[in-house]
Parts: sequence; C-alpha cells; structure tokens
Amino acid sequence: MGIQKKMQHFRITPEDLCSKGPRFVLDKLRDSAKGGGYYIANTERDLSQSDFKNRIMPHTQLIVADERNESGFFSLEITGGASVHVDLLRKQINPIEKLEILREKMPDLLFQTLCRGVNLFGYRPYPENVVRLTVQNFARYVHVWRVFDFLNHIPNMIPVYEEVQKAGCLLEPAICFSTGEEHTDEFYVRKVGQILDVTGKDIVLCIKNHGGLGSSHRIGRLVRTILERYPDLVIHYHGHNTDGADTFRIVAAVQNGAIIVDASDHAMTGFYGPPPLMSVVHELADIGYEARGLDIKPIVEASNKLRAERPFYKDFESQFFGFDPTVQLHKLPGGATGSSFEQAVKGGFLDRMPEILQKELPQVQIELGNWWSVTPGSQILWTTALTNVLEGERYKKASDDLKNLLLGRYGEFPFRFPDDNVYRAVFGDKWKQIRDNDYGPQVIEDVSIEAEKKVLEKRIGRDATDDDLVLYLQHPNDAVNFFKYEAKHGKTWVLPPSVWLRKGGFKLGEKIEFTDYKGKNHTIEVGPQRKNKNADVVTYLVVDHHVEPFVTVMEENAESVKKVAISAKEMADLAQKGDIRAHIKGTVNEVSVKEGEKVGKGQVLIVLEAMKMLNNVVSEIDGQVSEIIISAGDSVDVGDKLMSIKKD
Amino acid sequence: MSAIKRVLVANRGEIALRILRTIKEMSLEAVAVYEKPDSEAIHIRLADQAVFIGDGPRKDYLSVEKIIWAARKSGADAIHPGYGFLAENPDLAAACDATGIIFIGPRPDVIKNLGDKVFARQIMQKAGIPLVPGTGNLPKGENEIPEAVSFGKKFGYPLMIKASCGGGGRGIRKVNDEEALKKMIPKARSETLSAFNDDSIFLEKCVESPRHIEVQILADHHGHVIHLGTRDCSIQRRHQKLLEIAPAKLPEDVLEKIHQCAVKAARESGYTNAGTVEFLVDSRTNEFWFMEMNTRLQVEHTVTEELTGIDIVRRQILIAQGEKLDIAQSDVVLTGKAIQVRINAEDPKQGFMPEGGKRIEVYQSPGGPGVRLDGSIYQGFRIPSEYDSLLVKMTVRAYDWEHAIQRLKRSLKGFLIVGPKTTIPFYLAVCDDKDFRHEDFNTSYIDTHQHLLNYEESEREVAKIAELIAEINVKHHNPYTV
Repeated sequence: MGIQKKMQHFRITPEDLCSKGPRFVLDKLRDSAKGGGYYIANTERDLSQSDFKNRIMPHTQLIVADERNESGFFSLEITGGASVHVDLLRKQINPIEKLEILREKMPDLLFQTLCRGVNLFGYRPYPENVVRLTVQNFARYVHVWRVFDFLNHIPNMIPVYEEVQKAGCLLEPAICFSTGEEHTDEFYVRKVGQILDVTGKDIVLCIKNHGGLGSSHRIGRLVRTILERYPDLVIHYHGHNTDGADTFRIVAAVQNGAIIVDASDHAMTGFYGPPPLMSVVHELADIGYEARGLDIKPIVEASNKLRAERPFYKDFESQFFGFDPTVQLHKLPGGATGSSFEQAVKGGFLDRMPEILQKELPQVQIELGNWWSVTPGSQILWTTALTNVLEGERYKKASDDLKNLLLGRYGEFPFRFPDDNVYRAVFGDKWKQIRDNDYGPQVIEDVSIEAEKKVLEKRIGRDATDDDLVLYLQHPNDAVNFFKYEAKHGKTWVLPPSVWLRKGGFKLGEKIEFTDYKGKNHTIEVGPQRKNKNADVVTYLVVDHHVEPFVTVMEENAESVKKVAISAKEMADLAQKGDIRAHIKGTVNEVSVKEGEKVGKGQVLIVLEAMKMLNNVVSEIDGQVSEIIISAGDSVDVGDKLMSIKKD
Repeated sequence: MSAIKRVLVANRGEIALRILRTIKEMSLEAVAVYEKPDSEAIHIRLADQAVFIGDGPRKDYLSVEKIIWAARKSGADAIHPGYGFLAENPDLAAACDATGIIFIGPRPDVIKNLGDKVFARQIMQKAGIPLVPGTGNLPKGENEIPEAVSFGKKFGYPLMIKASCGGGGRGIRKVNDEEALKKMIPKARSETLSAFNDDSIFLEKCVESPRHIEVQILADHHGHVIHLGTRDCSIQRRHQKLLEIAPAKLPEDVLEKIHQCAVKAARESGYTNAGTVEFLVDSRTNEFWFMEMNTRLQVEHTVTEELTGIDIVRRQILIAQGEKLDIAQSDVVLTGKAIQVRINAEDPKQGFMPEGGKRIEVYQSPGGPGVRLDGSIYQGFRIPSEYDSLLVKMTVRAYDWEHAIQRLKRSLKGFLIVGPKTTIPFYLAVCDDKDFRHEDFNTSYIDTHQHLLNYEESEREVAKIAELIAEINVKHHNPYTV
C-alpha cells in the first residue's frame, strides 16, 4: 500500500459514521491502533477558548479549511463550550450557521463538540426538553459529542447521552480528572462503569484533564487501570498545556493504550490550551507510535497561514506570557486561567493574585469537597475565593450559585459534603436545619417550546426558525440581540479579523475587500466624515465604486449625560425607601414580581445575570410593587433604577 | 408658420428633460422655466436659459400669463407644454396664437372640443365610432336625478359618473346601484366644480374590468394623419397608469379596426399634432368603445417611440412649424415589444403612498441593450413633495414579450435607489406573476393581484456591512466585539 493510500485507509469520515454507525467507527479505531497506532484530534475550539478568549473568527477558520480537511485528524473540535455563547455575543455569528459553512468546506472531517450535561453550552441548567431539542439540532453538523458534568454526576448527562445516540452520532462521555487523595484510580474506574451501565459499550471514553493536572506517570496509570478493567474501551485523552507538560501526559496516555489524543495548530498554541500537535506527533514517532491517517504537509501549511493571522488576535491573548505550573495548586481550567488574569487587571487586584490563586483557591477547593474545577464549578470556586480575599471575610458574601451548590441543586457531591464551617458561614447557625430541609437536585420543569417560540417571534418581529429557537432557549437575551444585530448589519463574519477587530479606525482611502455570504465580491473605500445636525457622524464610503453616506448614531453622547454615579451606600439607602437600583452591570434575567404585588422583606424581586452568574435583587422592605421600569432582556448599569416599592 | 428657433418648455421633471433632449438634437435653443422648489432641478441645467417664474408650487407652472411672459422675456418663438399643467388648457394655446408664438400641439378649439367629454362623444358618434352608452351632460335641477335614474334602468349597473372636463383618471366615480347614484351625483358635481372649475357631469355605462388601450396619432396641417400603433395601459392603480406596453396584444383584425377608428377620430375632430385616442376593450370579446382623446404628449409615448423608432417630440415640432409629415402609414413598422415602468418614489405596500421630502442618497441606473431611461433625478436629489412622485421612467424594448419581461427584470435589478421606497420591488413581483407572463391583464389587475404587494423589501448585504465599517471607523473600535 502506498503512503497516500495507507493514510486514506485509516481515516474516518462523516460518511463512515453516517452510513455505518458508531460501532463501525469504534472497531476501525481499535483495529487501526493495533501495532503502535493512535489518532489525533485538533481541538481548535479549546485552543480558541483557552488562549484567545474564544475569538478566533470564521474568516480565519475558512482560510485553513482546505488544509484541515486534508490533514487526517480524528476530528476537529470546532464548537461547544463557551464558544456558542461567544459566537452570538462577541463574534456576531449564528453558531449553527457557522457549522453549516465550515461543514461545506471540510466535508471529510468529523466535527466535535464539548457540552455539559444539564447546562449544554450555557451556564444554567436547562429543562430536559430544551436539552434534547438543542442536541437534536446541533447533531445535524456535529459528529462527536464529548459530554461532561463538573460533579461527574452521571444522571445529569443522561438526556444528552440518549439524544446523541439517537442521532447516530459518536458519544464520548467524559470523566473529569483532578488530583488529591480522593481522586483514586478505583474512583474513576467506578465512574467509567456507571457510564457504561447507562450508555452501553459503543462509546469513546474521554479522560478530561481540563486543568492539565497530574504527572505523565499519573495519567499513564489511570489509562492503564481503566483498560485493565475495560480492555476494549476506546480512550480519548484530553489535556491542557497550562504547566507546559501536557505532551508528556499525552505520550504516557498513548503508551498505556489511549487511542485518541488532543492537540492543535502550532502557529496558534499559547499557554493554557492544547499543546502543539506536531510536537506530540514527533515525540511519539520516535518511540514507535504513528498518528494514523495524519498528513503532516497540510498541517504545516495551515500553521504557515495562521501565523499571519495571529497578530490580529493579540488583544485576546493572555496578559501574561509563559506557562503556569502553579495550576497544580489552583487547578483552574484552561479558559478560566486566562480570564482570571484579565479580570485581575481590570479589577486592579493583580497584586493579590498569588494569594488568591495559590492560597485561597486551593483551600476553598478542599473545603467545598475537592470536586472538579470546570464550568460551572470553576466559576463558583473562583468567585468564592476572590470574594473571600477581597472582602476579607470568608464565605460571608456567598453567591447564589454557591448557595445552590451547597444545597445540592447541581447534583450529589462525589466525595463528601463541604465543610460544616462553610455552611455555617453561608447559612448562619441554623445551617444544618436549612440543609436538611432544603437539600436536593434542582427540578426544572419542561418549558412549552411553542410558547417560547411565540415570545421569541414577538421579540424579533419575524418568524423564528428551529435554529433561532434553539439559540434563544440557550441564551435568550443574547440570542435576541444577535438576531437584531444580524438584521441590521448582515453577516459580518465574512470580514477578516483585521477589519472586524480594528482599533483606531481606518485610514482615509483605505480599501476593504471582502466576499459576502452569497459569494459576491465587494470593495469599500473609506472616505471622509462629518457631523450632522444631531451630532451623529456621517461617513462617506465608496461602496462598490459609488459614494454612499452612512450615519453612525452616537448614543454614547446621550448616555454620558444620562448616567449619574451612585455609591453603594446611596443605593442601600434608596432600597430602604423602596427605590430599587441595579447593584451590578448585567442583564435582567427575570422579573419575579408583578406590578401591584405585595412583597415582603427579603423577597426576590429581580434576577440579574452578569459574568455567567445569577444575582438576586431582593426587597429590603415590606410593601407593594408600584412601578416596574425594566423587563427581561434589558441591559442595566450600576445604579440604574429597576423598580419602585411603596412601603407599607 | 415659420421655422422654430427657440422653444420654451413649459414643464418640469422628466418630461421637460425629454423635450429638451429633442430640441438639442434638432440644434434648436431651449428655454426652461422653474418654480422655487425646482431651483436645483436638472432641466434648468440642460436648457440654454432658464426663467424663474415664481415661488409656486404648481400655480406658476399653471399660469398662462407667466408662461407667455417667460416666452417673451426669453425670446422663445414656440412653447411645448409637455403633459399635465397647461398641456390641455386651450387658454395657453389661444394665448400663443394671440402673441404670435407657436404652440406645439393642436389648435385651441380642438383642445376645447375634445376636452369636453360630452362634446367629444358627439363628434365620435357622428363619425360612427363605437361609444360606451352614456348620457349627455346631466341637466341641473329637478330633472337631474330622474334622467340619471332612467339611464340606469335602461343600461344597468354599475355606472360611472364622470366630470365632463376630467382627465387623467380624475373626476370619475363608480356607482353600483340606484341609491348610490342618487347619493353620489351632488357630491360628484361639487367635487368636479372645485377640481375643474366646471360642474358638468355625465353618466356612462361601466364596462367591468376592461382593458385600457390607446392609439398614438400624428396629424399634420396638410390633412395627413397616421397612427403609430397601440399601447396597453391596463395596469393602473386608482386610474393612474403604472406600466404600459406597446403594442397591445389583440388579434390583427381588431388592431386594424382600432387603428382605423383612431385615425377617423383624429380626422373628424380636425386634429393636428400628436394625440392619443383612448379605448376601452372588453377583455373577453375584444369589443371596443371610444373613451376619450388626449390632446397632448402622453407619459407613455416612450414605448411607441422605442417600437417605431419615431421621435414623437421631433414630429410635434416639425408639424407645429408647418411641415408635411413625411412618414407614410406603411413606413410605420410595429415589431417587437416595449414596456415602460414608472419608477415612483412611493411605498406600494402603503397604498402607493408618496415618499416626498426624502433624499436620494444613492442613485445607480441600469444600461445595456434595449434600455431607455427618462428621469431627472441624481444622487443627492431631494424629492419635492410639491409635485408628483415620478422619479424615472424606464422603457425596455425586445424582440418578443418573453424577452421583454426578462430584459425588464434584469434592468429593474440594475437600479440602486437608496433613500425613498420605490415601485421597483413591486414591478419585480409583477415580472414573476403568471398572468403577467401570459400577457393576461386588464384594469382590475392591481386589485386582483394584491398578493404581489407581499414582496420582501430588498436588502443590500453590502450596505449593512458598510454601516458596520463606518461605525468601527467612527468609534475607533468595533463595539460588537466587547
């Protein structure tokens, strides 16, 4: 067999999966791995999320689509995690349409996603019918489904398992991995058994090492132990290179029988995501392992092209260059490491980061039960540690998410309850009573999909497609904002990052060339600007050879006048008078009361969503709701008036 | 009559431009007139001189005195009235005669006779031209209603109440029964009085869903009358034509009969210069009746010009200076199809509501084979709300009907008009309509094809993206990435 032919022989295509099913794919993986073979997946999504805050644009992905299609990866992870939300929120692309476009350019490559059991691509648990509908919809384009739960609580993942299998996709349940005395091989083998009991044997099992924790020795032993118990299992090792040592762990995983491993394009690798793919291939080649189906030439060519694009994304790279071996202490997953530093810079507490990351966070983890630091658990751990340090008082200002966690809303604790001291600090002296009476998983009723569709259609003023609805059910407000954006600005993902992420405006006479989504070429030449009588700016652009004026409404002018700074103290005083203000910048998630309703002190009035967390706005007084100013979906700033309560 | 040297065009907008172009081709001098709202109009730029005639709006273009004054001031020896305004006002023609200026159009008495619908019917009746059953001018006073009622009893309903001096679709009311007839007569009379300064009205039997077909006539002062074929102007909304076609789809023998009737009508009325004889045609039986004769250049003369290659305005000027018409009827060849669409600044979805007052931010127009444009707009043009909403007329000509539609569609898509809404997307919907493609339509077309108004507003992807680029440029960053 010639080299080219042999390469093709090993490859697994969407056609294989769709026509012959998951079992065929698994058999082929096992057969091909015999005699020193393994497969490598390109986890571009995780690279983008961990090292570029999920901002890699479709334009960049399309530049290297041909090369990737020819590379012979096991799969390309191209959606999932927080990327679905960021697609809508910061990239202004429909995440489902993105898949359709990329699918067309990479027809021979399996697409992979990562999703949470109950949260999917969002940050909150969804009703089961929403979970199922979402999986059904994405399954049109996604072949390999990696599913995890931050408590490794198997029941949380069952609806996704079922829908993935029903759709004929390749199911890849993950066991989240961490370190510490509780994290024994026996524990993990037991978890694998629990998964197999639910799914049956036709799965790929993922070891999800989202922090890049443990040594190569530790990972090798875990893989070996699982395979000793389940010898036919196809194991996919997933790690992060935060400490700079993931290549070692990958090598150990393969040496001990893992069939698939994760890495990505070297031109884009950073510090918290996957390691360079070619380094892994090179290292394993020398000890007798061959990456099956892989062609190095297009991989090198892809990176040659990507090098030219990387500078456009520099604003989204980590504030700090260099690996972070202290991850073995703080255990933050790849994506959260970068964003924690970003938050520290913005919040001005960079000097306290060693204390937060290296002392408080490890302690909080142990106190809360040493489960897995991954979404949404990693946000709870980080926020709690941060609040503990910045407030100077531990657990006193507990977030609602922490309270929910403590009351078992997210599922059972894997090892033990969090420390009593934590409960006492959060719930007071009656904590035990509260926990005993109110402990249990969150029960979320199915929503009426038809009713939600009507609401969506009302909000966007047009018929909603199934894709629209699925996105709306995941991220209601951000999806609506995106639909409005798209109606106004069209499909702007066609723009190169040099335009999309431009800072400082364009040069007079600068020409911007692009191809619209229908395949038509356009040229826009930037002309002069002037102010009109409303102080809005008119820009003259030469659009396809004809001058055209465009008005940019300068709402900032108006807003800066409107905003009045308000202190926390003033806000608390106002709340005593029934003048309810927003204490954080965010989006109104829910208005929990109606106008005219009687409310009591401590009753939840409004739920605000900010930084992936829900925050309750409660009444400080007994009274009656006299006026509601905002409604669900509104963006609010600190100090904005939300509601009035008439004091009894 | 003597050779014309300098022509004053007593009109505005696209028709002023249209006439000026022929004047230029004939190496004559052109004089434009304008009211204040037209201070930046393009017809002023094209003329050799322009005379400001007053603040308007409309009243100065309608003033015989002002026009004659402008002609004398500018030394014009002829006046072309265009259409609308004073075109069918016999007073202008008479004033021209009185001051020794050549009026490019028929004699004042002919304008007057044919402008009086009842009198015109009498002329045609004498000539043996088929007429829709109708009354003479209804008597005023106690006999008015009984006479109207007995007409209704004799010919059946529905009936039309028409202003004797009406035209251009104005002053027409349809009544479906006797009660409505009694109620509407006084209303129609008072409305007619205020619109035309004459309260004469008459009744006509209403032909349901007829086709509106007209014949272009040229007649010189030497007794030579020819026709330039038919136009089908059935596609109208509220009696205002939108889209016109030449020639009409009719059997050869019917066409021949209609042509002959039109020529006869012109002869019988002593007509000179260019005119149009309008007929109603029964869609099923092809039976036809004389409706009226328009004593002016029509908006839709373009389709006839494109089909025949004859410049009607040029012929008007030559006839007016007394020349013999050197085109024999047998020289007039009618091959192919021509379609004119009136691209108006109107929102068809809002009952064709005019979009006056808006600015044309972008204007790009089509070109290529078989496309003619008559317009007076440009990028930056503010659409005056003081006048009509016509922006540009596009006429396409092609070998046959199918090709003409394809050409029409292609050319409509070649327009880019940013600012006002226009009738373009509606015409595009018409192009795709099955009945239209089968050349099957009558005057009820718009009413029976309301679904054609459900078109999607055209969206320009590039403009949406350009708006973002402008915003990034103004704000120095992309606000949709943070």
